[in-house]
Amino acid sequence: MNKNVRSLIFLAVGIVIAIVFLLMPTEIYEAVKYFDGGYSNELYNHGLYSMFAMFIVGITWAMNIIYYYVINSVKFDRWPHWLIMLIVSMVAAPAACIVCNESVFSDYGLVYLSEPLQMAICHLLFTLIMFVVATFSVRWWSSNCRHSPF
Amino acid sequence: MRLYIFAIGGTGSRVLKSLVMLSAAGVKPLDENGRPLSGFEIVPIIIDPHKANEDLKRTEKLLSDYRTLRKRLYGDAVDANGFFANKITLLSDILTDSSIQVNRSPVCNLAAVEQSKFREYINYNTMNEPNQALTSLLFADYQLENRMRIGFVGSPNIGSVALNQIKDSDEFKAFANVFNAGDRIFFVSSIFGGTGAAGFPILVKNIRHAENLDISNMDVLRRAPIGALTVLPYFNIEHNEDSRINKADFVVKTQSALHYYNKTLTNDSRYAINALFYVGDQVTSKPYIYDPGENGQRNRAHLVEFVGALSPLRFAGIANDRLCDPNGYPMPTLAYEYGLDKDVSDLDFSAFGTETRRMVYKPLVKFHLLFLFLRSGLKAAIGRGFCEDSPKITTDFFATEFYRVLDEQFMRAYADWLGEMADNMRSVHIFNIGDLNMNTAIAGVQTKKRSWPLGRASISCDSFVAQMNKLSRDSNSYVKDGEPLKLLDLFNKAADTLVDEKYENIN
Repeated sequence: MNKNVRSLIFLAVGIVIAIVFLLMPTEIYEAVKYFDGGYSNELYNHGLYSMFAMFIVGITWAMNIIYYYVINSVKFDRWPHWLIMLIVSMVAAPAACIVCNESVFSDYGLVYLSEPLQMAICHLLFTLIMFVVATFSVRWWSSNCRHSPF
Repeated sequence: MRLYIFAIGGTGSRVLKSLVMLSAAGVKPLDENGRPLSGFEIVPIIIDPHKANEDLKRTEKLLSDYRTLRKRLYGDAVDANGFFANKITLLSDILTDSSIQVNRSPVCNLAAVEQSKFREYINYNTMNEPNQALTSLLFADYQLENRMRIGFVGSPNIGSVALNQIKDSDEFKAFANVFNAGDRIFFVSSIFGGTGAAGFPILVKNIRHAENLDISNMDVLRRAPIGALTVLPYFNIEHNEDSRINKADFVVKTQSALHYYNKTLTNDSRYAINALFYVGDQVTSKPYIYDPGENGQRNRAHLVEFVGALSPLRFAGIANDRLCDPNGYPMPTLAYEYGLDKDVSDLDFSAFGTETRRMVYKPLVKFHLLFLFLRSGLKAAIGRGFCEDSPKITTDFFATEFYRVLDEQFMRAYADWLGEMADNMRSVHIFNIGDLNMNTAIAGVQTKKRSWPLGRASISCDSFVAQMNKLSRDSNSYVKDGEPLKLLDLFNKAADTLVDEKYENIN
């Protein structure tokens, strides 16, 4: 298969996955973890699932674009450099989700202790998956880093 | 066009070595409009009875390595761009007549000459007394005792007799057999020695009088466009009591030979050659060791050989109507001399004239940068960027025959060649040898100044990797061509851009 066609297929699949995640965040999050104590309902009622999806998709895709097209250097084309970007994303995206979650809940006087921590693990999982999806979607046109991480 | 180059004697071999280096760098003959000639092919034929001489052996090895590399890069294709562009073919490759046997070597087999003393070769002992007396008048005792496997040691009068047998050699028959209309012949020889000074006029005579040969294409051969490089004195020999070669004789020998050439080779006749290139230098080289024996004559490469190697390429580019009349017979001989732009003893690129710089500067710079990249950049690029594109260049590539020949043999010979030229008089110091820093690698050429406060542009192996990554991403796959062509073609294209972009333009 022509490499350009293959690259476009990867991009299209990545965009579809990201859109599905953005359009159906509730179903996806709750399929992974549903909290019986009302926490999941509150997230849904305040539209936080959509916010989480936007943070995760936005940050992971942005970090990939920065790595592959802004940094795009022969000095940073090895897998450890990609891993650094992944780690930064896995810190930034869940942190943004948690801050947003806490901000909205505090406005409404809602207090949950253990659930946000468990939810953070879900954020980490989705960030990891979305970062890898974004990597395989955008990397092909990078001149120097397209073979990073492998 | 096939250009048959007869490299005669030690100088012939050394000029051929420089031509191989220029060809490896991608220097191609240009036509009168400055466009690269298409269908150009070099067929080297080395004539030197002193087969043990190091200059000949080094050139033969270099030719073999060049051919190995080029075949792996371009297969049997004649036209190519980039490094190793000129196709170099042996007579044995193109010979179709199975009744003629030639070695797979560019070196002409002169077995009858090599195995005897001159006295034995001319059957001196069986001559009658008057003939012996006449022979003794023509040849000194030491010349009669000369073992011809060490060459003619500065005695063209021996060579002119002994080399007459070339026309009967299988190599000459093979050459005459494969020579076609449109092909050209070029001779490279010195005028002040033995083998070259004698061999050149004899071979021209045999070709121009091809009607005396038993070949089918005698008419094509005798009207063949012939060019020649006549190398005037340029090197010095260490003073030695036993030496039969003396620098003091060079000028006298040259004057005699020029006088002879004027009468026989460069006049306005059907038997004259079409173009003659003269090159020499009054600044003589560092003295070479007089050593005509086994493994002797390992002379340092020299500026004169370097610029001399441009002459066959220049000759190939001359339009046919400037060489031959409408009937195919030679026009009056064109004569060329070579002059430097600056009369200095330490030459960088700026010392050469504009035409030379235009022809060799960029190819040689690109080749030198390749040399540096192979030394210090390629290994670090494995597993990254262009190396990971198909076909992948992995660490296995370093074990391939192509890489070993390129890096361990050809590039080593290139480094020796550069070093020898720099260590000679005049010193050709076009690159800072041993300097792996690409910013300062070209002598007398700096990287471009950028606007304040950026300082000068910088170039490194990473610049090449980045450029090659981009080219590899945008190119069609090299899968069919293989890793060697992928590496060298990408590097050549990257260097094309980077040399213009990063270095000050000296042309």
